[in-house]
Amino acid sequence: MRNYRSSYPTTWRIMDVFEKAFAAIWPKGRGKYTPYLMLTPAIVLVGTLVVGLLYIGDSSLRTLDRSTFQFSDYWTLENYTRAFSESFTATIIWRSLLGAMIVTVVTLCLAFPYAYIMVRTPKAVLRKFLLIALFLPFFIGQVVRAYGWLIILGNQGMVNDVLGLVGVEPLRLLFNYPAVLFGLVQYMLPFAVLMLAPAMTAIPEEIEAAAGSLGASWIKTMTHVVIPMARPGLVGAGLVVLTLSLTDFAMPAILGGGSQDFIANAIYDQFFRTSDQGFGASLAIILIALGSVLVGVIFTVFGAGTLELGSTDK
Amino acid sequence: MKQPTGQKIVFWTLVIISIVTLSAPTFVVLGASVTSGNIIAFPPEGFSLRWYGKILGEQDLRDAFVRSLQVATICVLVSLPTGTLAGIALSKYRIRGGVAIQTYLLLPFTIPLIGSGIGLMLAFGDAGVLGNLWPVGVATSVINLPFMIWAVSSSAAGLDPDLELAAQSCGAGPIQTFFNVTLPAVTPGVITGSLLMFILSLNEFLVSLLLVDARIVTLPVQIYNSIRSIITPDLAAVSVVFIVVAMIAITILDKIVGLEIFLKSK
Repeated sequence: MRNYRSSYPTTWRIMDVFEKAFAAIWPKGRGKYTPYLMLTPAIVLVGTLVVGLLYIGDSSLRTLDRSTFQFSDYWTLENYTRAFSESFTATIIWRSLLGAMIVTVVTLCLAFPYAYIMVRTPKAVLRKFLLIALFLPFFIGQVVRAYGWLIILGNQGMVNDVLGLVGVEPLRLLFNYPAVLFGLVQYMLPFAVLMLAPAMTAIPEEIEAAAGSLGASWIKTMTHVVIPMARPGLVGAGLVVLTLSLTDFAMPAILGGGSQDFIANAIYDQFFRTSDQGFGASLAIILIALGSVLVGVIFTVFGAGTLELGSTDK
Repeated sequence: MKQPTGQKIVFWTLVIISIVTLSAPTFVVLGASVTSGNIIAFPPEGFSLRWYGKILGEQDLRDAFVRSLQVATICVLVSLPTGTLAGIALSKYRIRGGVAIQTYLLLPFTIPLIGSGIGLMLAFGDAGVLGNLWPVGVATSVINLPFMIWAVSSSAAGLDPDLELAAQSCGAGPIQTFFNVTLPAVTPGVITGSLLMFILSLNEFLVSLLLVDARIVTLPVQIYNSIRSIITPDLAAVSVVFIVVAMIAITILDKIVGLEIFLKSK
C-alpha cells in the first residue's frame, strides 16, 4: 500500500515539524501556562524600563563631588533634601502641576464636543473629515507641530505680520506660559478625543432622545445623562492628558524658550547642562512618584476608565 | 436625532476651534515650505520649490531621515511579535494575576517619558551599547508597547473561541491553530498596531534626544536642534516629509481597517 503521507503538501510537513518542536519544548501538560509564555516577551521588554528605574534610583542616592566631579560611592539622601529645600524645585513642580491641570480641563472641554459630534453625526463624510483632522497632527509629531506654532506666533511670525499690516506693534506671543499651555492642549487633543470616542459610542442615542422627550434641556441631558455615562472615557482621557502634559518636555522647551521649564526640562538640564546626574535622578524619581500618586488617586476615586488592556468582562 | 439649536452652536464653536488649532501648524508648515523668500513671512513671497531642492542636497538631513526610518523599522520588528502575543494572551485567556500583569504592562504609559528615557539611557550606557541605532529602536518600542497590545487585544476580543476549537477538533495542533485561525482573525489589529508603532517611533523626540549622540541624530532631534538656532524655510520643507508620511499612514490605515475602527466601543 502506498504511504499516504507522501502525498502531504510541503507546508503541512513544515507545520508538522513546528508542531513537533513546539510539543517537545512545551508539552501538552503545560497548556495552562501557555498565556504566560505568550506574555513573556512583553514582560521582558517592559523589564528594561524597570532596570532603567533601578539605575535612576541608584544615581539619585549618590551626590556629585564638585571638586573631583566624581559621584559618591555611598548612598545618601542628600539630593532629595536638596530638592525639597530649594525653592527652584517647588516653582517648577507647581508650574508643571498647575499647567497639567489647566491643560486637562481645557482639552477635555474641547475633546468632548469633538468626540460627541464625530460619533453622533449621521454624515459619513463629516465623520471621516473629523477623523483625518485628528489623525494628521497625531501622526506628525510634537516637534513639527511646535515648529508650526513658532512660525505662526513668533515675533516675525504670521500673527504679528498680520497685526503689523493694520499697524499694531508686534506682540510677544511666544516663550510665555500661555504659549506652552496652548501648545500642550493642541498636542493632547487627539489623545483625548481618541480615548473618549469609544465611550461615547457606547451610549445609545435613544437614551438622549428619552431624556429630551421627558423634558430635559440639552444641558441637563449632557450633565445628567451623557457625561455620567461617558465617565470611563473622560477618566481615561483625563488621566492620559494629565500625566502626559505634566511630564512633557518638547512644548516647554520649544514654545517656552527656556523660561517656562517643566519638571522634565529641569531633569534634562541637570543631566546635560549641569552634569549633576544624581540631582537630576532625584528629580526624576520625584516626578515619577508624583505621577504615580496622581494616577493612583484618580484610579481609586474614578476607577481605571478605558485604560484597561484586554477585555474585562470575562 | 435632531439636536437642539443651542447645543449645536456651542458644540460646533468648540469643534471649529479644535479643527483650526489642530490643522493650523500643518497648513502653515506646508505654506512656509514653498515660499520663494529667504525668511518665513506672511503673506508668503511667491511660490518656489527651491527649499525642497536645498534639503535634497543636505547630507545630514538625508542621513537623519534614513536613521529615523531605521529606528522605526527596528521598533516594529521588536514590538510586532511581542505585542501580538501579549495582546492575544490578555484577551483570550483568563489569567491568574491578570490585573497585576496588566498594570505592569502599562508601565510604559505610567512612567513619565523623561524617566523612561533617562533610565534606558543609563542602562544602555552601562551596557556599552549607546551610539548604535538599535537601542533607540528598542526604546521606542518599549515606550509605545501598550498601543500595540491594545490594538491586538481589541481585535482579538472579537475572535470566536469556537473557531479555534473547531480547528483543533479537525486535528490542527496549537501552532497550526495559531497561524491559520488566531492570527488571521487579529490581523487588522496587528496592522493598526504596527502602523501606530512605526509612526510614533518615527516621530519620537524625547527618548531619541536622550539616546542619540551627535553622530546618529534622528530627524526630529535634527529639527529640534535647528529650530533653536534659526528658523529658515528649509526646515519647513523637512517637516513636510513628516506630513507626507503621516498622510500615507492615514491612507493605509483607512484603506485596510477604516479610521472608524477607533470609534468602536470595546
